[in-house]
Amino acid sequence: MAAKPMTGQAFFVLAALADGPRHGYGIVGEVADLSHGRVKLKIGGLYGVLDRLASEGLIEPDREEAHDGRLRRYYRLTRDGRRALAEEAELRASTARVVRVRLGLTGPAAGAAG
Amino acid sequence: MSADLEGRYRRVLRLLPGWYREQWEQDMVAAFLDSWLTGDPEADEYICKAAGPGWREVASVAVLAVRLYLGGAGTPRRYAWGQAVRRAVLAVVLVHAALGLVALVPAAWVRGVLGLPPLPANLVNATPRGVWPAVFYVVSVAWIVVFVGLVFGRYRTARALAALTIVPSLVVMLQAPFTGVGPALPLFGPWAAWVLLSLVPVLAMVAFHRGAPTGPARPWLLALPAGYLLVFFPLLALQATGNSAWVPDFSGLCCILAALACLAHTPRAWSRQGAGSGVWSLTLILLAATAGVYRIISIADYLNDPHLIKVGLAELLILVAAVALVAPDAARTQAATPAPPAHPHTTAA
Repeated sequence: MAAKPMTGQAFFVLAALADGPRHGYGIVGEVADLSHGRVKLKIGGLYGVLDRLASEGLIEPDREEAHDGRLRRYYRLTRDGRRALAEEAELRASTARVVRVRLGLTGPAAGAAG
Repeated sequence: MSADLEGRYRRVLRLLPGWYREQWEQDMVAAFLDSWLTGDPEADEYICKAAGPGWREVASVAVLAVRLYLGGAGTPRRYAWGQAVRRAVLAVVLVHAALGLVALVPAAWVRGVLGLPPLPANLVNATPRGVWPAVFYVVSVAWIVVFVGLVFGRYRTARALAALTIVPSLVVMLQAPFTGVGPALPLFGPWAAWVLLSLVPVLAMVAFHRGAPTGPARPWLLALPAGYLLVFFPLLALQATGNSAWVPDFSGLCCILAALACLAHTPRAWSRQGAGSGVWSLTLILLAATAGVYRIISIADYLNDPHLIKVGLAELLILVAAVALVAPDAARTQAATPAPPAHPHTTAA
């Protein structure tokens, strides 16, 4: 049986952690940047995703830092999370290549070369 | 300074299960405050007094709470109840789908589609004409589609179709009192049936969320023709042989079906060897509670008929006795739910 497809939110959260650990609100901001403002995570939605990714072993806590009297918790990708993100990114990229060819935005040769 | 804003958000977070708040609340509050506060003391003082979580924020917490209470990934404590709700909803939709077959099979039989000998004359009703019979034929098919959709994991389609499917019955029930058109229906039974067997299951379909595990399809698919043959065929046979007086009303039939299901499950519940026995016990408790409440409410339609009241009470007694057989197993399942998942900070290397 095929693995469950990764949700868009999960993909963006993992992508937000690809270049280093981030705290909750840092992830929200990075996801908004990465998606060009299309994915605006609310806090409840973010922690639903973080909770699920943590239980699947794709992210783990990194450290805690005090900021204005509050503790910010940072999260990082695990090795499995990095692998899952890479696989999902490759899947999305290959799909995008096919779509661009079918829409006539690029030639098959360019798609194969890319 | 941020106490006002923080307090408002913490009140929203009370929607979440306690075990989840223990693990994530501080983190969520910190992220929420980060999303509001600017670092400018004057601006932040104003924000903390005037601002609060918007409806989208509240909705995101509410959705998370539903997922946690109904058992998505990473929620073992609630897994049993989530599974039980999903199975109970499937069982109710199975009844609707079987009723759909009851409407469709005779229609197909009369038209010779099944290639069978003609139906007995007393089972062939005059073909109803008009819009509503046609609508209810469509509804019958729609329930079968909803059932198959839930079984095969097409949750979104099934939820949307089910929400549309319950509307015609509501319209018919509202039509008579408000317009005087249509049959005068009993006061309590039809409403109880609509709320308990249509509206509540459709609302409870939120339990079929993205993270919900899909069960094996084959037993459920076999249950549809089996349910039709084993339950509704005998009822049709009673009618055909002129013994209609023995046919219970629909709420009574629900009680009897729930009681029989409890009895059939009792050996497994007592042996505690079958995997998932406790979840089935919880499922049967939910179904029996629904049938029992439906029976109690619909008895009010028979207040001037002592015989029917006695029959209704007898059905309730049978149901309670059958539920008592599986209740201990359901209680054990609740007591034995696994510990909540460890917080990632406690499992970090």
